[in-house]
Amino acid sequence: MRIIIKLFGGLKANRDFPQNEEGDIVLELSEPIAVGEIIETLNLNKKPFIVILNGVNLVDFSTKVKDRDEISLFPPIAGGYR
Amino acid sequence: MRILRINMSEETPSAKFEELGDYEGLGGRALTSAIISKEVDPLCHPLSADNKFVIAGGLLSGTAAAMSGRISVGCKSPLTGGIKEANAGGQAAQVMGKLGIAAIVLEGKPKTDDTYKIFINKEGVKIEKDNSLKMLPNYDLVQKMKNQYGDKIACISIGPAGDMKMSAASVAITDMEGRPTRHCGRGGVGAVMGSKGVKVIVLDDTGTTPRQPKDPEAFKDANKRFVAGLQKHPVTGQGLPAYGTNVLTNIINEVGAYPTYNFKEGKFAGARKISGEVQADLEKQRGGNPTHGCHRGCVIRCSGIYHDKDGNYLTKQPEYETVWALGGNCGIDDIDKIAMMDFLCDNYGLDTIEMGATIGVAMEAGLIKWGDADGAINLLHEVGKGTYLGRIIGNGAAFTGKAFGVERVPVVKGQAIPAYDPRAVQGIGVTYATSPMGADHTAGYSIALNVLKTGGFVDPLKPEGQVELSRNLQIATAFIDSTGMCLFIAFALLDQPETNQALIDMINAFYGWNMKDSEVMEYGKKVLKFERDFNTRAGFTKQHDRLPRFFYKEPIPPHNVVFMVKDEELDQLFNW
Ligand code: SF4
Repeated sequence: MRIIIKLFGGLKANRDFPQNEEGDIVLELSEPIAVGEIIETLNLNKKPFIVILNGVNLVDFSTKVKDRDEISLFPPIAGGYR
Repeated sequence: MRILRINMSEETPSAKFEELGDYEGLGGRALTSAIISKEVDPLCHPLSADNKFVIAGGLLSGTAAAMSGRISVGCKSPLTGGIKEANAGGQAAQVMGKLGIAAIVLEGKPKTDDTYKIFINKEGVKIEKDNSLKMLPNYDLVQKMKNQYGDKIACISIGPAGDMKMSAASVAITDMEGRPTRHCGRGGVGAVMGSKGVKVIVLDDTGTTPRQPKDPEAFKDANKRFVAGLQKHPVTGQGLPAYGTNVLTNIINEVGAYPTYNFKEGKFAGARKISGEVQADLEKQRGGNPTHGCHRGCVIRCSGIYHDKDGNYLTKQPEYETVWALGGNCGIDDIDKIAMMDFLCDNYGLDTIEMGATIGVAMEAGLIKWGDADGAINLLHEVGKGTYLGRIIGNGAAFTGKAFGVERVPVVKGQAIPAYDPRAVQGIGVTYATSPMGADHTAGYSIALNVLKTGGFVDPLKPEGQVELSRNLQIATAFIDSTGMCLFIAFALLDQPETNQALIDMINAFYGWNMKDSEVMEYGKKVLKFERDFNTRAGFTKQHDRLPRFFYKEPIPPHNVVFMVKDEELDQLFNW
């Protein structure tokens, strides 16, 4: 299973991941895992606040990803605060 | 504080100062809307002598309060036919406040085709005929004024679009550097200033001091808490300073709410190339500046300075809505060309949102191709020159749609819909439909909750809860627009009750009032009532509080949704 992760607003992963030509992270997973867990794995420089899964603002970070899902992450500086 | 009335109908226009009287306690939008609602015949022609052009700083303009440099202009709009308040930053509100002027009201209309300039300092008001200013673009005009009156002035001016009385003409306000970059953009306010024969108002506050609060200690303390709150909040303390409003391009695009190709799709392939992140990097690389205030006293500093490839000043940092309108909406993904269009709009005195939406309609008509940046630049020059084609484009999206027989025209009450698709963000659709201003995102910025999760979260794709959301935001905004505060403080106010309280404390300390939080909402309702009442008398009905039909019929990808909020619900918005 392959998912794409897009980082915005100055977010950076603290280790190298394979990227596509857009510069987005491409993660190969053997089984579906929760979005929250994926975010942990990325070890980002800042905590993402706005998490968008396939164009929908995610409220429940325990949602599991499917093949070809796209996750877009924004830090709180780019949006809200709470 | 006094009202300065200038009668432009007289052979030698005269100025008179009068006390605020019935308008005491009103500022900014409350003051412009009250004057228009009470004094202007709602059935008058917007460009006639019967319309009035009101300029007002806010309740706190000219004081030491942070963020208080917002200026409002009001009139009957030639674009919507209803009441209009458009506001901007820049230096003018502070200077007007320090000069003791709550509002400038231009009344009547010259019988000749002459152009006037008005100079105001602490000695008084000078109104002079100066036909050499006619059709000057804003940058040249302001330079000429600086040569004449010195660098310390603030200017309120119109470009050629205002001279030609186009419905997309803006009113320019000079920024801290004395450049005409901050615009009261919407509703054709520049055309009304032009119809009064006034090209520029030059303000000079030499020898004046800031307005003094009734309770200086309490005021200082509240201002300190207010500033600390803004600096603490991630949007006002970090996000807006780092990237400016254009940080929204990626977020709005990722949630599929970025109207592209004249509202046909909700995602734009070129979005990243024109995002705030890219813009800020370019500004740093080229010696511009991504973190800059539009007036002294701004602590958020969402603005910036944009340089061209050679490192020379091109324009101020284009706002998100500008980059969307003249960029993504038209399929254009070249940030330098978009910045050039931002400059052209500022120079000719045009609303960037209306122009971008109009060029989108022109592309729909096949006048130029999607993505043709040079073609779009050329259309703006046509407007600046006032060719027949330019005069069509310069009158906005609805007019251009009619001229070229286009069905998909994104307007409400004749005013172009801005940068957030109302199908993918239903809350903002409610604001577009119902605001007395016509389609205006700032009137009730539901994006804060629908997308940015500031102050809570309301699912943008469902109709439920959107009317209430928009109602509360519209009321709160009407109040903030009256204080002279920049609306961006709202991000911090929504999340931090103590910052909200600090603002109220600051106003109370300044005026010796005892306003409570609930009274703030009453204040906002009063402003909306002035505006609704004017529009009703101007002939607006509930059928005008609707979106164009295609938003109800054409689903927008990628979410494939239509606008679902029912008409009966929209009709409840002002039922509080
Ligand atoms: S936050 Fe931005 S728009 Fe508001 S006053 Fe500051 S620079 Fe101007």
